[in-house]
Amino acid sequence: MFNILKQVQDYASESWQAAKYIGQGLSVTFDHMQRRPVTVQYPYEKLIPSERYRGRIHFEFDKCIACEVCVRVCPINLPVVDWEFDKTAKKKKLNHYSIDFGVCIFCGNCVEYCPTNCLSMTEEYELASYDRHELNYDNVALGRLPYKVTQDPMVTALKEFAYLPQGVVDPHGLPKGSQRAGQRPEDILPEIEAAKPKAESTEE
Amino acid sequence: MNLAEGVQIVSFGILGVMMIVTALGVVLLPKIVHSAFLLAGVFISISGLYILLNADFVAAAQILVYVGAVNVLILFAIMLVNKQEDYSELPGRRLRQVSTAVVCFGLFALLGTMVLATPWSLNTTSPAVIDNTIVALGEHFFSDYLLPFELASVLLLMAMVGSIILARRDLIPESSSTPGTVTTKLTLPERPRELASLSGDSDRQ
Amino acid sequence: MNSGIDLQGSFVQTLKDFGLSAGLAKAIWLPLPMLLMIIGATIGVLVVVWLERKISAAAQQRIGPEYAGPLGVLQPVADGIKLVFKEDVIPAKADPWLFTLGPILVVIPVFLSYLIVPFGQNLIISDINVGIFIWISLSSIAPIGLLMAGYASNNKYSLLGGLRAAAQSISYEIPLALSVLAIVMMSNSLSTIDIVEQQAGYGILGWNIWRQPVGFIIFWIAALAECERLPFDLPEAEEELVAGYQTEYSGMKFALFYLGSYVNLVLSALVFAILYLGGWEFFIPLDRLADWIGVAETTPWLQVLTASLGIIMTLVKAYFLVFIAILLRWTVPRVRIDQLLDLGWKFLLPVSLANLLITAALKLSFPLAFGG
Repeated sequence: MFNILKQVQDYASESWQAAKYIGQGLSVTFDHMQRRPVTVQYPYEKLIPSERYRGRIHFEFDKCIACEVCVRVCPINLPVVDWEFDKTAKKKKLNHYSIDFGVCIFCGNCVEYCPTNCLSMTEEYELASYDRHELNYDNVALGRLPYKVTQDPMVTALKEFAYLPQGVVDPHGLPKGSQRAGQRPEDILPEIEAAKPKAESTEE
Repeated sequence: MNLAEGVQIVSFGILGVMMIVTALGVVLLPKIVHSAFLLAGVFISISGLYILLNADFVAAAQILVYVGAVNVLILFAIMLVNKQEDYSELPGRRLRQVSTAVVCFGLFALLGTMVLATPWSLNTTSPAVIDNTIVALGEHFFSDYLLPFELASVLLLMAMVGSIILARRDLIPESSSTPGTVTTKLTLPERPRELASLSGDSDRQ
Repeated sequence: MNSGIDLQGSFVQTLKDFGLSAGLAKAIWLPLPMLLMIIGATIGVLVVVWLERKISAAAQQRIGPEYAGPLGVLQPVADGIKLVFKEDVIPAKADPWLFTLGPILVVIPVFLSYLIVPFGQNLIISDINVGIFIWISLSSIAPIGLLMAGYASNNKYSLLGGLRAAAQSISYEIPLALSVLAIVMMSNSLSTIDIVEQQAGYGILGWNIWRQPVGFIIFWIAALAECERLPFDLPEAEEELVAGYQTEYSGMKFALFYLGSYVNLVLSALVFAILYLGGWEFFIPLDRLADWIGVAETTPWLQVLTASLGIIMTLVKAYFLVFIAILLRWTVPRVRIDQLLDLGWKFLLPVSLANLLITAALKLSFPLAFGG
C-alpha cells in the first residue's frame, strides 16, 4: 500500500524535476535572444586571417632548385616537380611545378623544409571551383599573389577574436588602429634584452 | 427550388457517385493498399451523407473513428506485414464461391426489402428537426439506449484491459518451451552464452 | 446579449438593395469569407516562416534572413516562388496517383479546420454545434495522407517516416481529445463561440488556463506532437530518416507539406488561444469598462473597435504561442520513438484522464466557478 504511494510520489517528483529543467532551458534560450549576433556576414564582411594562417601555397619559380625535398616531406608526395638535367650548366633545370589543392591537406611541411624558401603560405582560402581539376595549380597559378582582404573595397575586413582589444568581443565598429590585448613583439624585445644580463649574473 | 436544396441535391449526387465508385474500387482493385486507401474514401463519403442528414456529430465521429483509427490500423497492418505467398488453388473453390454468392445475395435481398418496406417520405418541415444533436444523442444514450450503450462500453473496457495485458508480457506466465531451442531458417548459428563464458573462464585459468 | 457587427447581414442587405434576389446575394456572399480565410491562413504561414527563421537566428546569436525585403520579410515569399517553379519529380517505380494525392490529403483537412476558428462574435465562417470536435476529427485524416506519401514514395525512409507520423498522431490524438473534453465539459458546448463566451466577463482572470492548468500543458504537448514540431519531429528526423515521408518530394508537392505543417501550427495555436486563453477577449473586460465610461454597447465606433481588437487579440495570443513553440524547438532535444510513445500512452493519457475526472468532480461541487 505505502510502496505504491512512494512510487507515485517518486514519479510525480521526477516529472516535476523534468518540467523544471525544461523551464531552465527555456530561460537560457530566451536569454540568448537578447544577445548581439556574433556572426560574420561572409561575402560582405571577412575576417582578417592571422599571421600564421595556412592558406593556398605560393611558389616562386626562379628560386626553386628542383631538389624535391617538398615531395619527400609531403605526407602524400603531392608536389609534381618536372626537371631535366642541363648538361652545359651541370645543373637541374626546372620545367614545371604543380600542386593539386584538391588533395593538399595544407600541413605546411613543404614550406617548412624548402631550402630556398621558394614555397610560402598565403592567406587565400576561397578555393571553390566548378571542376576539381581546376584546383590543380601549375607554377603560374602558384606564383599569383592573393588579394588582401583589407584592400578589397567590396569587403569590410574584421579582426579575429584573438586580435581584439581586451574585453571586446564584437569586431564590428572598432575604432581605427585599435590593437589587440597584450604587448606587441617590438615592446617585448627590449624587455627580454633587459632581463638577459640579470639572468646571467644570477647564474654566476 | 432554392439555393440550399440545389446544393443538397448536387452534393448528394456527388457523394453517391463517389461512394459507389470507391466501394467498387475497394473490391475490384488488384493492389490491396489501393483498396485500403479507397476504403477511406468510402468512409468519408458516408460521413458526407450523414452531414446531408443533419447528423453533424455522427459525421464527425464517423471520420474520427473510421478514417482516423480503423482505416489507419488497416493500413498499418498492410504495410507492416510483408508476407509473400504464391498463388495456389484452394480446395473446394466452387463451393466457396457459390456460398459467398448466396450470402451476398441474401444480404442484398435483406437490404432491398428494408429499403422497400421503410416509409421514406418525411415531412421536411417536421417539428422533429433537432437543434442540438449532441444533447439529443446524450439523452437517448442514457434513457432508451442505456443497455446497449453500457454493453458497448464494457466490451471496449474488456478490449482495453486485454490489449494492456498482451502488451505487458511480464504479466503473462512463461510458456513451457525454453527460449533458444526454437530454430528457424533465420536463426543465426551462435554459441550459447553460458558455454562462451565457461570457455572464457578456462582460458583465463 | 448584443451580437456585435453582422457583416453577412449587412452585405446581403446591400446586394438586395441593388436589386439582386436573396438567394443570389447569399451565393455571392458565401465564398467570400472562405477565400478570405484561405488567404489569411497563407499569409499567416508566411509570417510564421519568417518568425521561425528570425527567432531561431536570434536564439543562436545569428541575424537570419536580412537582404530580401526589409529585415528579410520577403524571404518566405521567395521560398514559395522558388518551390512553385521547381521541377516536379516523381520517382521511378513510385505510385504516381498516391504520390500526388498524399500531400493534398495532408493539406486540405488543415485548411478545412479553419472553418471553426472564431475571431469575434460573428467573425467565424460557420458556428456549428460540433465545433471543436470537427477539428479533432479532421486532424485525424492527416495520418492517412502521410501514410500514403510514405508508401507511394517507394523509399524505406519515407515509409518509416510515414508509419512513425501515423503512430505519433494516433497516440497523441487521445490526450488531446481528453483535454479538450475537460474544457467542453466546463462550457457545456462543443461550439468554439460558446467556449469563448464562457471565459468572458472577468478579463484575464476568467480564462480557462487558471481552471485547467494541467489540461493546458497536456494540450500544448499533444498539439506540438500533432504538428510534428521539434521535440516530437521524429517523422522527419534528419539524422535517422533523411526527411521522413518528404524525402522524395520536391517542388509544389513539397511546398504543400511545408505549408500544411505551418498552417497546422498556426491552427493549433489559434485553437489553443480559443480554448485556454479566452479567444478574442481582451485582458480586461471591455464591455464593463464601456459601461463605466457610459458608452452604450451598440455605439458603432465601439463595435468596430471591439471587433478589430478581437482579431488582434486572437492573433497576438496565437503568435505568442507560436513564439513559445519556436523557443521550445531550440531548447528541448528530440525524443526517441519509444520515449515518445511512452510519454503519450503512459504519462499523458492517465494524467489527462485524471484531469477529466477531477474537472467533472469540481464541476459538480463548484458549479459556479466550473460552469454548472
